[in-house]
Amino acid sequence: MLSRVADNLYWMNRYVERAESLARVVEVNQDNLLELDDNIELDRFWLSSIHAFHAHEYIDHEKESSAECFFLFSDSWPSSIRNCIFSARENARMVRDQLSEEIWVELNSIYHFFRSKDAEVSFDQTPQQFFQKVIRFSLVFQGLSDATVNHDEGWLFMSLGKYLERADQTSRALDALTLKEKKPSRKDLIAALRICSALSAFRRQYRGELSLRNVAEFLLFSQDFPRSMRFAIRRIDSNLHELSGVPSGNFSNEAERLAGSALAAVNFTNIDAVLARGLHLSLDELQLSLMDVGQKIFETYVMSPLELQNVNDDQSMQAQQ
Amino acid sequence: MNPAPFEKYKTEDFFDEMFGNSSGEPLLHYQKIFDRISRLTPVEIAEKRSHADSSFLEHGITFTVYGDEEGTEKIFPFDLIPRIIPRAEWEIVEQGLTQRILALNLFLNDIYHDGKILSDGVIPKEIVYSSPNYRREMVGIDVPKDIYVHVCGSDLIRDETGAYYVLEDNARCPSGVSYLLENRQIMKRTFPQTFQGMSVRSVELYPEILLSTLEYLSPRRSQKPVCVVLTPGIYNSAYFEHTFLARQMGIEIVEGRDLIAIDGYVYMRTTHGLVQVDVIYRRLDDDFLDPLFFNKDSTLGVAGLMDAYLKGNVALANGIGTGVADDKVTYAYVPEMIRYYLGQDPILPNVPTYLCWRESDRDHVLENLENLVVKPANESGGYGLLVGTDSTKKEREEYKERIKSNPRDFIAQPIVSLSRHPTIFEDSIEGRHVDLRPFILYGKDIDIVPGGLTRVALRKDSLVVNSSQGGGSKDTWVLEN
Repeated sequence: MLSRVADNLYWMNRYVERAESLARVVEVNQDNLLELDDNIELDRFWLSSIHAFHAHEYIDHEKESSAECFFLFSDSWPSSIRNCIFSARENARMVRDQLSEEIWVELNSIYHFFRSKDAEVSFDQTPQQFFQKVIRFSLVFQGLSDATVNHDEGWLFMSLGKYLERADQTSRALDALTLKEKKPSRKDLIAALRICSALSAFRRQYRGELSLRNVAEFLLFSQDFPRSMRFAIRRIDSNLHELSGVPSGNFSNEAERLAGSALAAVNFTNIDAVLARGLHLSLDELQLSLMDVGQKIFETYVMSPLELQNVNDDQSMQAQQ
Repeated sequence: MNPAPFEKYKTEDFFDEMFGNSSGEPLLHYQKIFDRISRLTPVEIAEKRSHADSSFLEHGITFTVYGDEEGTEKIFPFDLIPRIIPRAEWEIVEQGLTQRILALNLFLNDIYHDGKILSDGVIPKEIVYSSPNYRREMVGIDVPKDIYVHVCGSDLIRDETGAYYVLEDNARCPSGVSYLLENRQIMKRTFPQTFQGMSVRSVELYPEILLSTLEYLSPRRSQKPVCVVLTPGIYNSAYFEHTFLARQMGIEIVEGRDLIAIDGYVYMRTTHGLVQVDVIYRRLDDDFLDPLFFNKDSTLGVAGLMDAYLKGNVALANGIGTGVADDKVTYAYVPEMIRYYLGQDPILPNVPTYLCWRESDRDHVLENLENLVVKPANESGGYGLLVGTDSTKKEREEYKERIKSNPRDFIAQPIVSLSRHPTIFEDSIEGRHVDLRPFILYGKDIDIVPGGLTRVALRKDSLVVNSSQGGGSKDTWVLEN
């Protein structure tokens, strides 16, 4: 398939996944803060969230009516939910011929929702419904990707985008617990699980033994939970091998090598080792290695000056023969 | 007395597609539609209309408006009352269009080779050589199957007697066919009952025929040709159409940056390396195709594409240099071309045209500006028109100066009272002016999609039907019997 198309599909899915995660972050936090009747505390909380997303440089205090609105509707921050939806659709428009009609209609209708005033009005009047709409959109979008699109190369790029973004978001939710000044409270732990929609899955496995250790173990290492780091990295690894046809355990490009190494890192360690090294440090390393994987996917399949140079040489060789 | 929706309907002094020159009784081929629409209440009409509008928006069937900062996408307004063309009438139109595309191609082949029509004095040399779309690079080049214009959209209008005229030819990158196809889909969904017992000819084969037209040009015969649609990108007004056609044909839609030319061949960049491309259905004007040959600042094209094309290693549809055939000055000579190359009389006449380039014509135009439509010779999309009757004195004076300084760039035509068609306006039905853009494909055979895109000027009394100028469209039916 066209390199650019692979790139567009990858980013389309990353943005959709990002919009969903962000919707959960804002929803869960807003919910938690309802009982907090202290504006200073509130401000401090949102400010630290904005920092966690490296978004503080985009905030314009004059313009933003509230921190939530910044996360949801900011024009200047490229990862606000609105901008994620716009970017996802922009990418989709460039590859419309690759998408099913059903996917396009879903993406297009949420786009028109965010383009009009409806989104702000809905958030203002019925925030619960607003968040549900965004999250549901993402889930329907994913369901349709599985059910109405050929599971071919393009689909693998969509899947790569989804799981790379998901792993990143899960690591952020977990990392937020390490950034607290105090030991995370019970409420904080529940928030982290809810942000990853992991609360009931966690409860089934740990019977309510709520501790930082258990929450971190679950979100990092669960074999079966689809938002755990291990699950996501395993998918990234297998998607990459399906793309190249090279069996897992070997590698034919840098993206495969780095993904394999990240998978080994989560496969062959445990929560005690991670806590001993420091949770924050471990998460940081994982995040960085996944960013590298993303970069190498781009260099391998989308933009490769070196590869192009080689083909150039091949061509002139053929011409000489 | 007319039933409710048509109660206040007036045909005035125009030819009406549904009622002809009379008021009251619809023409025979419109009888069933007339009956069905007459039974609708205003509420039902409004419901159907909003249903159709939201279908268009949801499916992203939009066009982009130029000159708008945000690159706003708008839907191309759709009117629910179909335009109907009876079989016998359509057959004549088809013959006229076939004759025309043949002559245009013979003309292009001639002027890029021996130039007989010029040396025989049928068309003045200066006309051809002064056209900005005449491409010197093409002289002496043989194009695949000697076909230059593979996809043509010739706009037709009808005057107050109902006679058909060709208003202009679009021999470069005519657009609109996707709306024609989508209009039919939406019409079937929102108004299925109108089709009953009508035997409307189907339009859905168009993408398939377009693909075989493209494949017919492939320089490599040994394998399944690799065909692509080349688009300027998502900000182009017709981007929706480009993806639509690519999807319908099952071929890749590419931008310039997806292609690379190496040693006289064109390749597309894929996740598995480079793949050679045989045929490019380009929706990009000549000027932007190759920065090495044409506009040096264009980033939309592919450096080296022309080299590959001139070597015959890649085919382009439409070919390079076709713009000289749809130049509005050349247009005036198409009837001569038909006589010269085919030895036939033109079946579809031209609208009388004054060439400001000719001194006598120019004087007439300058003196009668308020009764004429003046058009730039090389613009499309209805940009830069002056409709004399709708203009202010100041606008006319400015236009006169422009004509005087660049007479070659302007033509003028009498204002034709375009035919009108019943069109839903708010909760009633009123007459609005229409034209017709049929799409002609020229590959192994000449194939014309039954009907075409009927464009309708939604503003009352407006004669400008272009989508960029507030026009809408209608489903167009050619009847089987």
